[in-house]
Amino acid sequence: MASHVHPTDTTLRDPAGLFSESIRRLIIASYWLVIIAAIPLWWQTTSIERLSLPTSRVHAQAANTLRFPVHIRLENVQDDSLAPALQQFVQERTQTSGLDVTVDDKDADSYTITLAGGPPLVMERQLTYPVRSGTLPALADTLAALLVPPVDVHRVAQYSPRYRLAFTLLNEDAAAGTSISSWDVSRAISRHLSPILNSLSVLHNFTVESQVQFHAPLAFSPVALPHGYGLTPEDLTVFVNSAEWSLSSSVSNDPVLHFILFIPSESHKPLQILDSNGNPSSSDAFLLPQWGGIVIYNPPSDLDSSQLPPSALTSVFSTFAHQLLILLGVPSLLPEMRTDPSSALTGWQLDALLRRRASENADGARDTLESIVKLVDQIENMPVGQDVRGDVQNSLTALDKMYASTSLNETLHQSADALTLASRAFFNPGMLALLYFPAEHKYAVYTPLFASAVIPLIAAAMREFRAWRKERR
Amino acid sequence: MPRKPRLVWLLCLPLLAASHSIPSETFEEELHVRALPDGKVASRFSFSVLLEGTSPRNPQNLSAEDESQHYTLFPLTLGQILREYAVTELHLTLNAGNWNYGRWGYPDEVDVGSGAELWAWMGEGGTATVDERWRGLRNALAGLFCASLGSLDELRTTSPALFAPSGGLPDWGMHNPHEIRHASLPSEHVCTENLTPFLKLLPCKSLSGIATLLNPHRLFDADWHGMGLHVSWLPEAGVQARLTFQSVTDPLRSSDKRDWSFASIFDRKIERRCPSATASHVVVSLPDNGAYSIQPPPPSIDRASNAAVFDLKKEPVEFDAPLDISMQWPNDEGFEYNLVPQTPLSVRRLLHGSSQDRGSLAVSISNSGNESVSVAYLETLPWIVQVYLHSMTFSINGVPRDDILRNFTYVPPIPHARAMELTLNLEIPARSTVLLKMDVTKAFLRYTEHPPDAQRGWDLPPAVLVPHGGKRMYTPTLLLDLATPDFSMPYNVIIFSCSLVAFIFGSVFNLLTRKFVVVKVESK
Repeated sequence: MASHVHPTDTTLRDPAGLFSESIRRLIIASYWLVIIAAIPLWWQTTSIERLSLPTSRVHAQAANTLRFPVHIRLENVQDDSLAPALQQFVQERTQTSGLDVTVDDKDADSYTITLAGGPPLVMERQLTYPVRSGTLPALADTLAALLVPPVDVHRVAQYSPRYRLAFTLLNEDAAAGTSISSWDVSRAISRHLSPILNSLSVLHNFTVESQVQFHAPLAFSPVALPHGYGLTPEDLTVFVNSAEWSLSSSVSNDPVLHFILFIPSESHKPLQILDSNGNPSSSDAFLLPQWGGIVIYNPPSDLDSSQLPPSALTSVFSTFAHQLLILLGVPSLLPEMRTDPSSALTGWQLDALLRRRASENADGARDTLESIVKLVDQIENMPVGQDVRGDVQNSLTALDKMYASTSLNETLHQSADALTLASRAFFNPGMLALLYFPAEHKYAVYTPLFASAVIPLIAAAMREFRAWRKERR
Repeated sequence: MPRKPRLVWLLCLPLLAASHSIPSETFEEELHVRALPDGKVASRFSFSVLLEGTSPRNPQNLSAEDESQHYTLFPLTLGQILREYAVTELHLTLNAGNWNYGRWGYPDEVDVGSGAELWAWMGEGGTATVDERWRGLRNALAGLFCASLGSLDELRTTSPALFAPSGGLPDWGMHNPHEIRHASLPSEHVCTENLTPFLKLLPCKSLSGIATLLNPHRLFDADWHGMGLHVSWLPEAGVQARLTFQSVTDPLRSSDKRDWSFASIFDRKIERRCPSATASHVVVSLPDNGAYSIQPPPPSIDRASNAAVFDLKKEPVEFDAPLDISMQWPNDEGFEYNLVPQTPLSVRRLLHGSSQDRGSLAVSISNSGNESVSVAYLETLPWIVQVYLHSMTFSINGVPRDDILRNFTYVPPIPHARAMELTLNLEIPARSTVLLKMDVTKAFLRYTEHPPDAQRGWDLPPAVLVPHGGKRMYTPTLLLDLATPDFSMPYNVIIFSCSLVAFIFGSVFNLLTRKFVVVKVESK
């Protein structure tokens, strides 16, 4: 067919005849087909995984509050009107604390009030009290103090299923003068702390460790007194010299409660704690809120061995035990109450602590869950993976189980789980992935490639479309 | 409630029983100072804490609650790491500079490879695998020593059997053998941020005893310095942790005499004795010949090693504090260098080739002794450089020899995943230099594998040469240059490559869809 152009050369063909019109259209259409077919793949590979969170369940949880039923049994009381009256009084006093108090004389495995004379005696879950109609308001006060005891929340360490208790014997400078180079720490712990740790084992697990340091300089110089040296209240706030005292732990993230026995050096002996007026106080110990406790021991100059004397060990560790109770938020009994000296903690104290920790955890879990939902709503390109959603769902399930649970231990357990899961979801590192790669950057990378490639495609498509319409007419 | 006290008492019983098993601990410190043949002064500090009667944690008990840890002298932070990851034996060294075997002879502490080196023996079994615990150990030590040991990852980890344990390995049954993990990071820079945590592990820190001399200003000014942590289990004694610091200082830098004193090399003196040390010695090696004087006069001299020994714990103290030992060569007019090789073996390693794609690795091992020596040569390289074993040749003075290589083991690298490990058992003839050559190829990295900051290249870990029955020797490190993209203008790069792609796409598209017509041109 090209013969009329170059009659002598038969191999040349007319280029216009190479592709028919339909083949050219097919080629253009196939380009578009590939592009359209590739869009889902592109979408799949570049989109952020954003699973939906159970928002409505989280908001529904916010309205819930944790309530504890408390049943008190009045034992051996003849007057039937006492129980309802007492219930009325106690309810008035514990209204805001989430307790549903019932008082009657029916048998139940809860708290018991026994009638007897003398000062109030607190036993395991029993209170011995001279119950009469005249003493009811006072009894209600006592019960309120036992059920919702006041606690200084700023000193109490945050709840954790496991704590590290680190006992440290610090010599300010062992190379100069008397120093204490050893202490019978495990015996002291088993004598003074194990009863407490055993009764608290429903709340926390404990890892106990101890060390001795021979050079632990202070970061400041104590005030010189006529007889010795003193620590002002300002000094106490900067007493711990974290840079020089190696107190940190390197293997776990469990919160650490430090208990430090500080032996001042020869040149700072005796070291006393001063009150705000600058007078030496009788106490040799102080507490750093949520951090730990410190006891200062001035060894007598005629100490014949480098071991801590047993008497000092006893007094130091009973102070540590007291500090531990404060740091863990264990409520103390009122001074007028008597108790069985052989048991570390009464059931009243333990239950009050369990209730407080459970409601703290539940509040914390609820707040964290709400924050996650809010955060994910606010930042649109924050990924939400399966693990985050799973943690949030499990945390909600734990909260639901917590409301349904019947025993206090179970409530605490579920609340702790809910809080741990919620925090883990909140701090999930996967949620940060695209925070620093905003959409603008993506367009900056895409436009140079796509704009220059797609324009000829669009132009060709439009041209063919126009030609096709012309043909149709 | 009469039963209550008894219950509490019973609960305390196991704890009471445990209290009697508190191990006794001893702390020994030693400083060894010796003048080197080239006039420099080598000092080696060694602090060892022994936990008597203890044994490493069995990894099968990892899931169970560990016993309480009560330490007096042993560093608690180290004890926590050892217990948490059930480590039987651990060696960590952080060195700066190349140890010059030819001039200085063998070091007192054999681990002198440049940069960071970590190896550990751990038992198999339990809930966590050896590799999981190795990762945890690396990260924990990185935190403890403020060093980038976290980057001693799987890409650098090998299991060379050449690193035999220095202590014992407990027998936990044949299904739970011990395994070694070894990694080194030659580009680690050792400085004062590593020394501070090191000193905190010592019972007396640097406030009393021999450790007073560890003055960072002078130590990091030394020609060579390195610190080490060695934990091993001595079956007869217990778990021992030994912290060492070695340095090589140069008195000839400031004067032409090789006289030295504590004040001149450390800028400090021993002011006070460490109260918790059970033994505290300063050992000064004495010259074999020539006139010298040592001040203060040594209280005792060890004839076997010809060294002056100062016992700092001895009562009554024979010297007045502060102790400043000094050594002088009064007859020296000026020091003359003695450049005779100090070790019979020497090893050099070079990477030839200027291209970023391939090159060759040349190792020359010289034996100046009169007897042939059998050695093991260990090369552990990250996967970024891969050797061709078929191209391995041995020659002596240019003459190819095939009787040098006795045996070898090879663990090939896996790109992006595992390091190479090559152990060659060689026989080096007497008074000869063996040249080993291998072709290597250099990897092309993915862009995320490049370090994010400015860099000078990739440091390759030192090779290790172990003579049969002798001490380990380390070669210097090598620097590898890999093809590196220009990261400075990423957007320009994107624009350029996009333009190119768009241009090619447009041309092809036009060729396929354009309508070509023949235009007839009338000839005249």
